[in-house]
Amino acid sequence: MSRRDEARWADRLIAGDPSAFRDFVEAYKRKVYGLAYEMTRNHSDAEDISQVAFMKVHRSIGTIRPGRGLNTWLYQIVYNTAIDHIRKRSFYPQGALPSLASEPHFDGPPDPGAGPEKAAEAACLRRRIDEALTKVSERERAVFILRHYHDLKLKEIAQSLGVTLGTAKSYLFRSLRKIQKELSEAEACPDHGDRP
Amino acid sequence: MKRCRTWRKNIPAAIYGELDAKTREKLERHLALCEECSGLYAGMAATVRKLDVRPAPDAPPQFWEGYWDRLERRMVSEAERKALPAAEPFRPRRAFSAPRWAYGAAGALMFLALGIFIGRNLLRPPEQSIVVTRAVPLGAVPGGQTALDAGTIPRPLPVRASHYLKRSRVLILAVVNSNLQTEDFLSLSLPLQKKTSEELMIEAAALKKEIGSSDRRLERLISDLELILLQIANLKSDPDGSDIEIIKAGVESRDILFKIKLNEARSSIAKSTAGLAPGPRSDSLDRAIV
Ligand SMILES: [Zn+2]
Repeated sequence: MSRRDEARWADRLIAGDPSAFRDFVEAYKRKVYGLAYEMTRNHSDAEDISQVAFMKVHRSIGTIRPGRGLNTWLYQIVYNTAIDHIRKRSFYPQGALPSLASEPHFDGPPDPGAGPEKAAEAACLRRRIDEALTKVSERERAVFILRHYHDLKLKEIAQSLGVTLGTAKSYLFRSLRKIQKELSEAEACPDHGDRP
Repeated sequence: MKRCRTWRKNIPAAIYGELDAKTREKLERHLALCEECSGLYAGMAATVRKLDVRPAPDAPPQFWEGYWDRLERRMVSEAERKALPAAEPFRPRRAFSAPRWAYGAAGALMFLALGIFIGRNLLRPPEQSIVVTRAVPLGAVPGGQTALDAGTIPRPLPVRASHYLKRSRVLILAVVNSNLQTEDFLSLSLPLQKKTSEELMIEAAALKKEIGSSDRRLERLISDLELILLQIANLKSDPDGSDIEIIKAGVESRDILFKIKLNEARSSIAKSTAGLAPGPRSDSLDRAIV
């Protein structure tokens, strides 16, 4: 969300406008769920985390201060909730996340302009990326997801995860390196030429 | 090269367009000289481009359609679970988190109920006294009042204190949940709320005098409440979010709603363990009402 959006949401939530919270949920549910999903690779865990995160948001409305970054505040809550959830369920051992490809609704919309071969190739590459992401640690993955998919600035990411800017930069570097390595080592997708 | 490490950390930042012009220029100069770093940059940039093929995860539309309903149901049931009946044994602080959730939403539902409640109770004049046909004088009444003036006697102190706390609580919830955008709020609710605050402040002064040293905790709570009521009474006629925020912060920092809840729990335990005798120094009053 833009700075102005952030301020607008903060004002509405602080003012206690009864419809503000619902509107906020509607506006951010996909982002919240998206991060939770990337962290757990499981649809029902992601919904659970997103609900708990929104309930925390609701309880913490009193802590929003006008002018403070709402983005950072929200993602901090979601990230911490996801980590708590993962720890509590002592979840999957590191590196053993189920592949996203097993969740059918994650294949994404087919590109109508592409032919069947292109589509198969894209699906294959998507699978490779999903698999590569499972090799990345939770923190590194969170940094990458927030930068690449949620468009957060590294500074915001650092604040959300409670780390220094330098650390956030290192996490992003390491996650991209790992993804790059995994993609180059994986069997090439047909005709994509993504082998080195 | 010695500084390669520093530059490498900045490569992703550069790819995502986060470097300022000056740093970017310096990085480019380094890349022009350092084959290793420029190879790294190229490889990483190509990887990021490849990632375009993978959209952000999303769930099917039917999942999103029912999302709010499921969330709201869960919030309501959590709120119900937490808002225990007053007579339940004491629990640690967290058990009474009603104030926080009440601030907004489990909320949307509660809001309506609150509005009705305010209309019925809050805006009705306080039940300071009841008429009795036959009063039984039973000695001194705390605060020096005589029980038989004009055929009425004051309700027992704990009853009045409890009623006072309830009205204050409802008022505070209404104010902190105010929808500042609506005309109704500015033309109807707010003036009424301010007036109620003033009434409650007058009542507070009398109650404090009567309570004296018999219940320090209650006295402090009423003093804290007075400050909040004063803020409400002094609200300007078109308050903004920050005015309400100040009140909310005051309520939270003094934990007022929780303390009211606690007081209710204390008095109902007192009632259940000692029949109708509600608290210290009120026996004579109680007997006077028979
Ligand atoms: Zn170098």
